[in-house]
Amino acid sequence: MVRDPTVLWHPIASVGDVPPRHVFHGQLLGRELAVWRADDGYINVWENRCLHRGLRLSIGVNNGHELMCQYHGWRYANRTAQCTYIPAHPADAPARTIFNRTFPAAERYGLVWSGEAPSGPPPEVGVLDAGSAMVLRSLPVDAPPGLVAEHLGRYRFCPNDRLDAEEPEVTADGHDDWSVLLTASAGGSSTTAAFFVQPVDSNRSVIRGVLSGSGEAADRLTVLRHHSTLLSNLRDRIEAYAATTPPPEPMEVKLHQVSEQLARVPVASVGRHAPLRVRVSRKWKTAEGVAGFELESIGEQLPSHQPGAHIDVHLPNGLVRQYSITNGPGEGTAYRIGVKREPNSRGGSECLHESVREGDVLAISEPRNNFPLRRDSVRTILLAGGIGITPLLAMAQTLRKDDLDFRLHCFAQSPAHLAFPELLKELGSSVTTHLGLTPEATVTRLRELVGRYETASHLYVCGPGPMLGAARRVATECGWPDDAIHFEYFRNDNEVDNSSSFEISLSRSALTLPVPAGKSVLEVLRANAIPVPSSCEQGACGTCGVTVLEGEPVHQDVYLNDSEKLAGDRIMTCVSRSRTDRLVLDI
Amino acid sequence: MATIGDVAGCSDPVILNEWHAISALEEIVLGVVGETVLLDERVGYTMFEDSACFAWRSTPDLTLGGPVDAVAIRDPLPVRSQYGYLWTSLGSPATELFSIPEFDDAERRNVHAGSPMLATSAARAVENFLDIAHLAFVHQGILGEQPHTEVSDYDVNLVDDEIIATKCDFYIPKVGPNFDAGIIRYRYRVPRPFCVMLYWDSYDDPSREDVIGMWVQPMRQEQVRAHRYLGTIDRTSTDNEIRHHQLLILGQDKPIVENQRPKRLPLHPQAETPIRADKSAIAYRRWLSEKGVTYGVIPALT
Amino acid sequence: MIKLYDFELSVNCYKQRLLMSILDVPYERVLIDFFPGWEHKGEEFKKINPLGHIPVIDDDGYILWDAHAILVYLAARYDSSGCWYPTSDPELLGETASWLLFAEGTTNTASAARLHDDLGYDFDIDACRAGAHRLFRVLDEHLWFREQEGRDWVCSTHHPTIADLAIFPDVMLSEEGGISRQDYPAIRRWTDRFRRLPGFVPMSGIGPVGPGL
Repeated sequence: MVRDPTVLWHPIASVGDVPPRHVFHGQLLGRELAVWRADDGYINVWENRCLHRGLRLSIGVNNGHELMCQYHGWRYANRTAQCTYIPAHPADAPARTIFNRTFPAAERYGLVWSGEAPSGPPPEVGVLDAGSAMVLRSLPVDAPPGLVAEHLGRYRFCPNDRLDAEEPEVTADGHDDWSVLLTASAGGSSTTAAFFVQPVDSNRSVIRGVLSGSGEAADRLTVLRHHSTLLSNLRDRIEAYAATTPPPEPMEVKLHQVSEQLARVPVASVGRHAPLRVRVSRKWKTAEGVAGFELESIGEQLPSHQPGAHIDVHLPNGLVRQYSITNGPGEGTAYRIGVKREPNSRGGSECLHESVREGDVLAISEPRNNFPLRRDSVRTILLAGGIGITPLLAMAQTLRKDDLDFRLHCFAQSPAHLAFPELLKELGSSVTTHLGLTPEATVTRLRELVGRYETASHLYVCGPGPMLGAARRVATECGWPDDAIHFEYFRNDNEVDNSSSFEISLSRSALTLPVPAGKSVLEVLRANAIPVPSSCEQGACGTCGVTVLEGEPVHQDVYLNDSEKLAGDRIMTCVSRSRTDRLVLDI
Repeated sequence: MATIGDVAGCSDPVILNEWHAISALEEIVLGVVGETVLLDERVGYTMFEDSACFAWRSTPDLTLGGPVDAVAIRDPLPVRSQYGYLWTSLGSPATELFSIPEFDDAERRNVHAGSPMLATSAARAVENFLDIAHLAFVHQGILGEQPHTEVSDYDVNLVDDEIIATKCDFYIPKVGPNFDAGIIRYRYRVPRPFCVMLYWDSYDDPSREDVIGMWVQPMRQEQVRAHRYLGTIDRTSTDNEIRHHQLLILGQDKPIVENQRPKRLPLHPQAETPIRADKSAIAYRRWLSEKGVTYGVIPALT
Repeated sequence: MIKLYDFELSVNCYKQRLLMSILDVPYERVLIDFFPGWEHKGEEFKKINPLGHIPVIDDDGYILWDAHAILVYLAARYDSSGCWYPTSDPELLGETASWLLFAEGTTNTASAARLHDDLGYDFDIDACRAGAHRLFRVLDEHLWFREQEGRDWVCSTHHPTIADLAIFPDVMLSEEGGISRQDYPAIRRWTDRFRRLPGFVPMSGIGPVGPGL
């Protein structure tokens, strides 16, 4: 009985077919695959189709950490196949839910294995496990897989040490729908060959052969040529035979639809929760008063992050804190964050410094990006104050890998206060440090660094409130437009006044709700089961923003810039209130 | 019905009753049988010295390259010779051809820039022509340049049953001595399902617009000829240079549209992932759906 | 300066542009209205090349036609390294000539199929495609064994020759003639390597490859 091929593992390539920075064009059971190895060694097996406009990804570019589609430059991350960048909208973070379809991958016997939905581990062939295997050149055959397997059962070859044997004895040691095990013997030596038939399509197959215990073969190339010639002859016979009957119809392949949510433009995100579980795999002192944490998934693959993204870390003491991810692009096996011990800690940084140890498990949110990096800039200036370096490190590494012009300026008290020095060293001459400056000297230095605005320049600032405020003022004075100045505050140092009361009217839900003194808009929405994503809940991170259709808001946040505040069409529901009796919100 | 090989003829009444360009008039040899494929059928055509044009479903007695006499043509198909092209239909078009006012502008040069074939559907070819974001990638260094990849918001409207996209701004690199790099503003027009046009301010006379038209001849569901028409104020380039440039551009789009899967344009909203930059494509797919087009597309409801 | 009688979408013209770019040889283009104008078949052009085909070069009065012959001339004259056309090593020269003849085969099959599918040339398309697949199978096996020997190019040298350059465009644009390269992984890797050569320029239809490791 023929087993259901979709639940089996099949070889789809030789290991040599997936060198670094290459995209292999594969196919299995009619479905086309884009197969590529990232610089970290991981083999990605994906549907050969960009989700945007259906372009084959096998003609895309493997840059070592992402696969870039040739049509519109959409980028998909190593491992997760999550879309990390859409160049047509460089100021937006792509929706987290854009994923290409992935298939499992395994390397065994010098072959890459995959399947639609394989169960269990890839097949084991005892004789191959014993010694070093030699992978033969694979041979595509224009014939149905069953026919190929049948003919392979009658394949005749010589043992490695007796390639000149006139009449080698070949015995079949095993045979099923997709593989054949043969042993050739002559003059006292023998070689076993395992052949796997890859079902490419109903009328197309690939013969993938592996020889056992042949690592010591005297003349490897001669053995490989021996089989290449014999298999080519076999192929001619199979194809001649197959040509006598009309070819079967190609297999039908079902392409997945994207979610209804993604098919709508734009895309909304979800509420504050912490679905990921990570283990602290490393904790180290990265600078004076700053601890580095490496967080490894204990479940599924971590979602890919975008430069500038942060995660919510849910602490053992019940507090929730936001930390930026410092990883470069494509480094997806663990997130690395830096935590500064705050002298006036309300329990967040203290808990991480004192209580959290290597091996501990933490709950974290998926990465969320409210500080997206534009990659259509011809000049990017990154200004980091103290621990504000963390999101800018991710940005700097991305810009460097993309070969875009940037400078990273780090302001710190002393060399000992520079966090992640190993990354700074790697970034080399793109980094300048500014140490031990007084507040006045800092402003002077900022003025020198920022300079006059030039078209397609962008400035990213992250650091303590006063430094950030100074940088924004200096840039504005130097003619930088608001939309070229990007900033992220760690926290909102403003005193938030929640004494007013007003009404919110929800245009999409057709609801009107009172917001009493002492309650935030966010709290009122939550109490009425209206999900709004949130993170810092103090007006710094931008996650809980909603669009205002009518009414005049009182902002109180540090996320929006001055022109955005003036426009008055967006509020942070955690801290913003209303000057008018009513705010109409687009939710 | 005369068919050739792979598929039976077109059963889509909308496309059957459309006018389709099948040849540039300048490429027709007078009094000699020309032949092409339209909607899976072989179609013969010719023109006589008095400029009278004919098209017919191919018959064995009128062979490609052979001489033809007007009296020998039985059951001629409806034809129009307009805008430099021979147009015909396998059905009965309810309307005349759409208008191109620029064509009659005396100061403008009308250039036929070739009719290369593409192994894709007509609707995929039209959608590629409408696409703005790809200019910085597929036509890097000519019609766009990385990292200037942003597509700002633009307007799309349905006007007199034509799709019109306006205020389509995009960065274009320096492409000529009298043109600086910067933002160019495009206007797109889709007058008929497989005909699409693009307008922009002329380099030589910014008060006027240059125009490119692409008339996609659906030979088969997944094979087309793209007739490229240019109406230009350009005073510096020769016709030959214009043709080379257009063939270069289309040659860059070719591997893109031929590597899209499926080749037929899927009209279901969840088949692919639209973004804001794709507003005109979203409108185009919806418009084809509403018209009930089935040839060369995957209808939304199957 | 060298004058190249050129057509944008011609693979054989592209071979000359590619080699001159790699060798950093300046040249000017004379654009021939090959399609749709058939200028190369006209009386004027036949004064330059009576055979009525392009490319043709005019190097300061020295006129030469036939794509692969021009490659031989340009490499022999302008490649000071002597790598692209290794005249000093008879065995290597023989190999290069042999693979140049192979390129005549890919031109007459793969590139002919492309002319049929792109521009409507009246060729036996099934025969062109079948012929191209036969040659691609040979080339893929050859390049696979080259990789096993630790070499990257068609001839037994560590540097590409004009044989690689002559075959590359026919192969790289084969899909425009309906000839998929999916079954030729060694050829696909070789086209990656070729596109990463210093001085490489693409033509319409040849996509980007990104930097190597």
